Amino acid sequence: MEEKLLDFIRDEFLEDPELEIDADTRLISAGIIDSFSLVSLQSYIEREFGKRIPAPRITAESFDTVRQMVQIIQQF
Amino acid sequence: MISFEFFGILSISLILYWLLPAQRYRNLLLTASSLLFIWLLDHQSLIVVLALTLFSYGMGQIIYRQKRSGWAHALGIVGVLSSLIFFKYLGFLAGITDSLYTFLEALPRFSVHHLLLPLGISYIVLKHISYLTDIKWKLVKPGNFLDFLLYSSLFTIFLAGPIERFERLSPQLKSPRIPFKRSDLELGSQRIALGLFKKLVIADWIGFFIADIWRNPDQYHPGLAVLALFGYAIQIYFDFAGYSDIAIGSSRLFGLKVMGNFQRPYLAPNISQFWRRWHISLSDFIRDYIFFPLSRLSSSKLWLLGFVPVIAMALCGIWHGAESRYLLWGIWHGLGLTVYQLFQQFKRRRIKRKGQRLNASLAVLAWPVTFMFVSLGWLSFRAFGLPVARHIFFSAEGLLAILLSFLLLIFIGRAISAFQSRISAKVRWRPAFTLYLLLICLICYSAMNTEFIYAAF
Repeated sequence: MEEKLLDFIRDEFLEDPELEIDADTRLISAGIIDSFSLVSLQSYIEREFGKRIPAPRITAESFDTVRQMVQIIQQF
Repeated sequence: MISFEFFGILSISLILYWLLPAQRYRNLLLTASSLLFIWLLDHQSLIVVLALTLFSYGMGQIIYRQKRSGWAHALGIVGVLSSLIFFKYLGFLAGITDSLYTFLEALPRFSVHHLLLPLGISYIVLKHISYLTDIKWKLVKPGNFLDFLLYSSLFTIFLAGPIERFERLSPQLKSPRIPFKRSDLELGSQRIALGLFKKLVIADWIGFFIADIWRNPDQYHPGLAVLALFGYAIQIYFDFAGYSDIAIGSSRLFGLKVMGNFQRPYLAPNISQFWRRWHISLSDFIRDYIFFPLSRLSSSKLWLLGFVPVIAMALCGIWHGAESRYLLWGIWHGLGLTVYQLFQQFKRRRIKRKGQRLNASLAVLAWPVTFMFVSLGWLSFRAFGLPVARHIFFSAEGLLAILLSFLLLIFIGRAISAFQSRISAKVRWRPAFTLYLLLICLICYSAMNTEFIYAAF
């Protein structure tokens, strides 16, 4: 799951293709992904993993890194 | 907020609160204090708060118990919103039908008597919408009625937010006993002192100097009108951030942690970041309950980039008041978000297809452009803004002043980014400093009749 999410984020949102990101890279708080990107990410998670994550869970506190995203996805 | 009622109730309930042994008694005390505060300000508001709380709690119970809760959720939202429409927007809608009537005689005509807007209604309605929706999304349970009543009426955040979520406040109220900590009292009083300073010393004095320029711009040089524009941008920030500090600090005195509302918004490098730092509790609400659900309606890029931000921000604007100036301000910001997003996509495509980046030196323009964009937005937000706009933009001197101030902003932006980390690292708060601040605030308060801009919404 982690790898799939990382690949999606690299392909869709990274402005700099040379920027290296891993499961612990801060994405929302660092401004790498914004609300528009999060909408696409929410749809991707629903398509790929069959889980709909409510918007109040998609925040810089609980959804900032890919590792946190995996934890939230597993809760739903 | 800066009133005998507020600080009187705050002081008395604070002493009694920490004398009580269990949290459930403390919650009862806070609820009674909050209801008393609302009643002292306006009897009608108390009735509205109680009615809305009973309704939303009942709907919350139904949503929680039903397997298919869509209809109950819709009914709850319609019910809560109806109260806002009834008190806040009926006059505005009647005005629109009146003007349409001149063209279409068959249109029904209705007259609306002046309704007094119950205090805090715009904020309580948003809190209840988030409560009902979070129950539907299974993020929270309805909780007990007294906790929900306290959440709805808590006097420290009642008048103008922050628009706290039940999910965050409820676990604090449920704790058997919030431990008494000296640090909570220190942090709370520091935040109150800082809030009073922001409001009474900075915002009110700036407001005092620029008020006449906004009222009669034609009597002043266009350069001064530009200064008044930036002055208002700073005034509204310190006014509302000051209020939020008092609300957050007062809650902290009771050991309650309430979400922050501002995070240096005017230092944001783009409009998207600005909205992550300005009135955070409102922009989070817009994002979670309007922007995300609207985005799900269609996957078309035109809808997502062109319509959703404009609709969401137009609703954000009209929430501030039933006037076209707020609507225009919201649309301005919605269009800003759209343009910024298109620019981001253009940059990404350029790098991917051609491997070309934009010149890095252009980054110095990011902050001044954002600050200028937000400041221009305040022209619409503030009443009498359009004469000021005309005075600035319809004269060569005004345009020159805007250009010069933009160049100045570039240098200010460079200076801020160079000194920002050093300044924030060196500031250390001492108790005597709190007292100095309070003393200065007292002197300023006695010199000026003060009201919060955001308490009017």
